Amino acid sequence: MITFENVGMRYGMGSEILTDVSFSLERRSFHFLVGPSGAGKTTLLKLLYLAHRPSRGLVNFFGKDLATLEREALPRIRRRIGVVFQDFRLLEHLTAFENVALPLRLQGAKKAQVSDHVEELLCWVGLEDRMHARPATLSGGEKQRVAIARAIINKPDLLVADEPTGNVDAEMSKRLMHLFVALNKEGTTTVVATHDEGLVKSVGAPILRLEKGQITREPGGSPIDPGA
Amino acid sequence: MWGRTLQFLPDKNTREGLLPWVIGVMLFLCTLSLVSALAIGAGLDRWSEGLTSNFSVQIAVQDSTERAAQTDAALRLLRATPGIESATVLADAEILELLSPWLGDMTANTSLPIPTLIEVRLEAEAVVNTEALSERLKATAPGSQLDDHQAWMVQILDLAAVVQSLLGGVVAMVLLSTIAIVIFGCRTGLATHHESIEIMHLMGADDSTISRAFDIRYMSHGLKGGLFGVLLATGTLWLLSSLAERMGQGLITASITDTPHFLWLALLPLLSALITMFTARITVRRALRELM
Repeated sequence: MITFENVGMRYGMGSEILTDVSFSLERRSFHFLVGPSGAGKTTLLKLLYLAHRPSRGLVNFFGKDLATLEREALPRIRRRIGVVFQDFRLLEHLTAFENVALPLRLQGAKKAQVSDHVEELLCWVGLEDRMHARPATLSGGEKQRVAIARAIINKPDLLVADEPTGNVDAEMSKRLMHLFVALNKEGTTTVVATHDEGLVKSVGAPILRLEKGQITREPGGSPIDPGA
Repeated sequence: MWGRTLQFLPDKNTREGLLPWVIGVMLFLCTLSLVSALAIGAGLDRWSEGLTSNFSVQIAVQDSTERAAQTDAALRLLRATPGIESATVLADAEILELLSPWLGDMTANTSLPIPTLIEVRLEAEAVVNTEALSERLKATAPGSQLDDHQAWMVQILDLAAVVQSLLGGVVAMVLLSTIAIVIFGCRTGLATHHESIEIMHLMGADDSTISRAFDIRYMSHGLKGGLFGVLLATGTLWLLSSLAERMGQGLITASITDTPHFLWLALLPLLSALITMFTARITVRRALRELM
């Protein structure tokens, strides 16, 4: 579904952050992206959620070669990708409800449909009492849950999450991973970048390990958490 | 024009708060310049129309018998010329009254030689070749001198054209400055809302969805500023008009309060809204193209 072939990435005239990165993400696959700080995880994620074009190499999204795609065609692909940013990146002047509703509204969903879906999901992530709160009044964990709800509200084909459980307690972390796994089973290809080895073991999914700009793929183990 | 608008920008932005006021001041200056240019044009049209529908013939001959004979000859020629409605000899008293602003009250001193003055009125829409007529008059009455006001009217019209061009230049400069201010305001807005724009972009909002949010906001700024500027300008013009009327400057007052000009004024806030909206649209879309 998504393939990277000999992808290199550098910013401006700087040195390459990613070198000859090749991997593919099959439909309905679940991968963890791990690696030390500065290994290029954020850059790889940016390529995955189409914030940048690679400096070289071939990238194919949903059967379309990125190099030949017109700029006008990119929004349609981006709408198929859900992103959980490490720093949440919620719109501060909008409420939790309005933030989560944005992807649906971008797709032109009807008001009633938006309302039903958003309320249901916010209840599921335990924010039924905080729906109309603005991000400034939410805790780190609550913001993270809003960010996750926004990323998955329209059941994306690809979910890219950068440290999605970094600010929540163990119980909520487990619950969110259950949500990711459930979404994955419904057909969402998922990539979760994390430093949390325990989280990786609990799911037992294959690992994309990024070190010094180069990627290796490791098979997944048996999940520790039978629910995951 | 806007399709579905997804307003993701905050309702208020303190950095943009001054923009409607600045646009208002610009529109105020623009309106005053525009109305002045139109008023000068309309006033001169009316004035020159009055002057071109008549001319005068002066018979300046010292000998009164000869003057009377040349006057009769000139009158006969004028009355026989196609396009001339009437040719009337002005009475001495009327001539003295016309001269009084320069020579004072001369009723007590009529020994001064006063030329005969024939006032000629043209038929409506009539075109008379005054140059040829002047030559024919000279042949008939050598002491005659036709004055169709061209000599000094051309100078005044030239001066008016220069003033109108200057005012047009002021209008153009004010409009360009307004566009520059809106571009600057837009860029500030883009910098302020950069985070929100980037998030929307990454969620799959296309350029038109993002720019529509700015379109609406800047159109509102343009409309508010335009209304403020035009209302202020209307008040100022009304005040000037009243003052000019009190001073008896009919040429100015009549031109300023002409209805077509006020219709123009009503359109200016809409024009301002459209200019700011399209300027914002172009600026935002150009900036968005820099994103992948």
